[in-house]
Amino acid sequence: MLRYLIRRLGQALLVVAGVVVLTFAIMRLLPGDPAVAYAGPKATAAELAEVRARFGLDAPLPVQLWEYVRDLLSGDLGTSLHTRQPVLDDLMLAFPASLELVGAALLVAVVLGIPLGIVAARYKMRFLDFSVRIGGMLAVSVPVFWLALTAQTVFASNLGWFPVAGEYDASLDTTSPLTVYTNITIVDSLITGNWPMFTDTLHHLVLPALVVAAYPMGVIAQLTRAALIEESGLDHARMARALGFGESAVLTRFSLRPVLNPVLALVALVFAYAIVNGFLVEAVFNWPGLGRYAADSIRALDTPAIAGVTLLVALLYVLANLVVDLVQGVVDPRARVR
Amino acid sequence: MRRLDPLARVGAVVLALIVLAAIFAPLLSPYPEDALDPLNSLLPPSGEHWFGTDQVGRDIFTRILYGARTSLGIVAAVLGLSALIGVTLGVIAGYAGGWTRDVIMRVTDVFLAFPALLLALATAVVLRPSVTTVIVAIAATWWPWYARLTASVAASVAKRGYVDAAQCLGVSPPAIVVRHVLPNSLTPVLVQLSNDGGGIILTAAALSYLGLGAQEPTAEWGLMIEQGQSLLTTDWWVVTFPGLAIMLTAFAFNVLGEGLRAALDPRRLPR
Amino acid sequence: MRRTTRIVSAMAALALAVTACGGGQVRGAAKPDGSSPPGAASPSGPFVYSHNLDIVTDWNPATSSSNEIIALQNIYETLTKYNPATQKAEPRLATSWTAAEDGKTWTFTLRPGVKFHSGKPLDAAAVKAAIEHTVQKKGYAAYIWSAVDKIETPDASTVKFTLKYPTPLDVVASAGYGAYIYDPTVDFEAGKADGGSGPYTIDTWQKGRETELTLKAFDGYWGGWDGPHYKQMQFRVVPEETTTWQLLQRGEIDFANRLGPQLFAQAKGAGLQTSETPSFQNLLVLFNTETVDVKVRKALQKAIDYDGLVAATKGAAVAASGLVPEGLLGHAAGMTPKQDLAGAETLLKEAGFGPGGKPLELSMTYAQGDEDQQLLGTLLATALKKLNVELTLTPLNWNTQWEQGKKGKQDVFVMYWYPDYADAYSWFANVFRSADPVSFNLSYLADKELDAQIDALPELAATDRAKAEAAYADLQKKIIDEQAAVAVPFVQRYRRAFSGGVEGYVDNPAYPNVVFAYDLKPGK
Repeated sequence: MLRYLIRRLGQALLVVAGVVVLTFAIMRLLPGDPAVAYAGPKATAAELAEVRARFGLDAPLPVQLWEYVRDLLSGDLGTSLHTRQPVLDDLMLAFPASLELVGAALLVAVVLGIPLGIVAARYKMRFLDFSVRIGGMLAVSVPVFWLALTAQTVFASNLGWFPVAGEYDASLDTTSPLTVYTNITIVDSLITGNWPMFTDTLHHLVLPALVVAAYPMGVIAQLTRAALIEESGLDHARMARALGFGESAVLTRFSLRPVLNPVLALVALVFAYAIVNGFLVEAVFNWPGLGRYAADSIRALDTPAIAGVTLLVALLYVLANLVVDLVQGVVDPRARVR
Repeated sequence: MRRLDPLARVGAVVLALIVLAAIFAPLLSPYPEDALDPLNSLLPPSGEHWFGTDQVGRDIFTRILYGARTSLGIVAAVLGLSALIGVTLGVIAGYAGGWTRDVIMRVTDVFLAFPALLLALATAVVLRPSVTTVIVAIAATWWPWYARLTASVAASVAKRGYVDAAQCLGVSPPAIVVRHVLPNSLTPVLVQLSNDGGGIILTAAALSYLGLGAQEPTAEWGLMIEQGQSLLTTDWWVVTFPGLAIMLTAFAFNVLGEGLRAALDPRRLPR
Repeated sequence: MRRTTRIVSAMAALALAVTACGGGQVRGAAKPDGSSPPGAASPSGPFVYSHNLDIVTDWNPATSSSNEIIALQNIYETLTKYNPATQKAEPRLATSWTAAEDGKTWTFTLRPGVKFHSGKPLDAAAVKAAIEHTVQKKGYAAYIWSAVDKIETPDASTVKFTLKYPTPLDVVASAGYGAYIYDPTVDFEAGKADGGSGPYTIDTWQKGRETELTLKAFDGYWGGWDGPHYKQMQFRVVPEETTTWQLLQRGEIDFANRLGPQLFAQAKGAGLQTSETPSFQNLLVLFNTETVDVKVRKALQKAIDYDGLVAATKGAAVAASGLVPEGLLGHAAGMTPKQDLAGAETLLKEAGFGPGGKPLELSMTYAQGDEDQQLLGTLLATALKKLNVELTLTPLNWNTQWEQGKKGKQDVFVMYWYPDYADAYSWFANVFRSADPVSFNLSYLADKELDAQIDALPELAATDRAKAEAAYADLQKKIIDEQAAVAVPFVQRYRRAFSGGVEGYVDNPAYPNVVFAYDLKPGK
């Protein structure tokens, strides 16, 4: 077990190192001169040279890579060219907002997706099954930015049921200022009992969270259904049937538990995917998360910020994969051999 | 092979229709691809223009039909390119084993650590926005899946008796790879290919939506949504029909791929 | 091994920092010094301005050259202010001024009792210091003062400029960029303090936040705060137009600087006010005179569907005539272009291209996200396709577009231009005068004769209006008709939408997108 753990961790570290190098390569390949981005559109040649020297942009590439790695190791992701704040500070503000959105979305996806999968499995090849499968497939097939635009127009702008955009009404910053501990607004407002902020954030969260939830919900429903059908064909399920348990009981009492493990592993993997998929939704709903930060950074060709987002998300991916593998390695010794 | 699921058959029919529509777009479309009419821009759907007209007065139904060409072309090119790279590296890794396999697999892992959209985004920012950029960007994120899949299949094939036998008879390694390892590795890759079309359609549309993909006057669904998004509250048809087209195509791919996989390999779970 | 543990701890720190509980901080505008108690200071609420891009990139009034003008013009003031209705400069920090007969000596009398936000008095020495600082910083707009030879301060309320050549200095002093009078000893860069004298001063600035910037009233403002005024100004970044529209309807924002035609048309019915004003900003389609043959350039001019483009913008633009927008000295009437595809085909054939000839591939760069430039691209590329010319469109953000432009990488460069002060000279001196290295002359025109004519413009404008008019007309003919260095498809029309209650809004095209919030009467 320990050997598996060490090997898997070693692999993850190698991948992280590769990710850092690849991120650096992307950073250096980006078009446009970061110095121009920093100094402003109408800067003079002298100002540009000064900015270049200040950020070490005039050094040879290997030196820049070395300095980049050295800075990373000391927790320095550089200074954003467009916000002029340390990138790490920016990410600390943006990431919690994305976490809030994606967390809420995954909650919805799990709460709705698993029961839908069970229902589909129970009524296999019947009308309900086809409805769930078609619905799930549509949820996976819909372009998320289009769904966001459509939902925003119909439910926020035409029907007026939900706010159009943003995380909360900006005026609350003066009327009910929030004390932040985690920077996740919904959590902070809950633990500090800031009800106006809490309800307003919740209200703002509904539409974007439902849109982000579409994909994971579809995937979870499909996986639950397929795994349940497979599991209920196994010997112990047949045994339960032979003992006179009804089909619903067989599914929920005997087959569901072993199925939950792969489903939860899937949630971990979908999490990192949903963060990125959420980028497009954040852009539409002007959600102050990583996606909006990334979009602003790309627009401003803010290389350190783009690299920071890339690195953060890639690390999340590696982390999610690692967690899934380790947990499965513990639960299922066969997985260690791969 | 088991019977194809009824839903998958529906998907196959829909996909066939979309392919036909793409091929025969010039015959089917009521207007020429580039018929501009700025004085009749943003007309709502009518008998004359089934899906209405866009900002410069082009017929949206026509643009959707031609857009199918672009989207399916992108899918084909990405699948071809990433399968070529992925299968080649995968077969080499799987057959050679040892440190060659380790190096290839770690590089693959690094690429897999980047979410497809993010890596594609970075690639598309580096290159000039165009359809070619979309193809390269998506292929850059898709090949590792094929490499990993092929490597594991090839490794198991390489251990089989007939490969050992061939080695003993002095057949050169490249010949073994081409004659024995490669053909036996292809089935799972083909299943995977059919299953990936939907994801590629969606990623391509997202890149175009972000302005990093196809450019005017190319007819492309994601681009049509990007251009029309500010009109959604007033001229819904400009955005709605391209969105439905993307969804329908991705749906057809996904259902078909899912069905094929279930039919060929019932034990594997949907991704 | 030490290195790896540090990576792990850095990763862990990243993950944990989110959940770490290190004593809560209050988020948002509330500040510990209590200088602006939330809400209490402004019973009418703030004036909320929504903009689709980040507001501030450069806080330095000496070098500022971008969107931040909408904030800076409320924080800083200039000696004079241009009035587009009278086409004259009017008093601002200076109450009156005189020019000598030859236009080479200008004397400004300053408003008494004006103080900077820093508390220092705004006197003649301060004016001299600010202008000299701006010139010395060599920012983009510093050139507006290039006629100035020396500045003298005979007494605390008099500033005397001696010029190298005659120039309308009262108009120069009203410029949107580079003409601010400020206290140069303040540290501007962090956006925490400012050295202005205007009605508002920086309260909070948080780049990347939706409410990026909040300004609060400067109690010591010379205009005083009697009567109804907005005591606070907020700048919100709202990238999506649909969102802007919805926030506007719900009263969460007071002012939208641009709305698409469809939404704009709905604004009146939705109880909002609107304003439509022709701007001083026109679209320049610059042809690369180094890589594209003059016949092809003329063909490109003829291939543009000018009427169609103006129609497709649904009122956001009006047809242009020549390089200089209407309302400025130098505007040439009767130069409105028309599409002529047959003429374009003939010209292309003469150059060896066109249907049946060699295929021609051209590239065009334009601003990402600008719908009107996008329309131009779509129309032009489609028209050219039928003429066997493939025009590749590349939308880029400005930095990249400009940087590639300076290297001459594209065949067609599309950009907007507006003058830094209300004078047509800006187009000619910046865009069509030869320059090495290339800055904004992105058609790469380098013609000694034209340069000499351009250099003579300011003096003519200050001394002989009729001659200046003729010189401007002649230059435009040469640049557009003979050299075919540029096509000018339209002049933008500013279309603002703002809350029903606001009173007193006047759009001043000399200060693009600026709302002078102090002049408004709060509504609701």
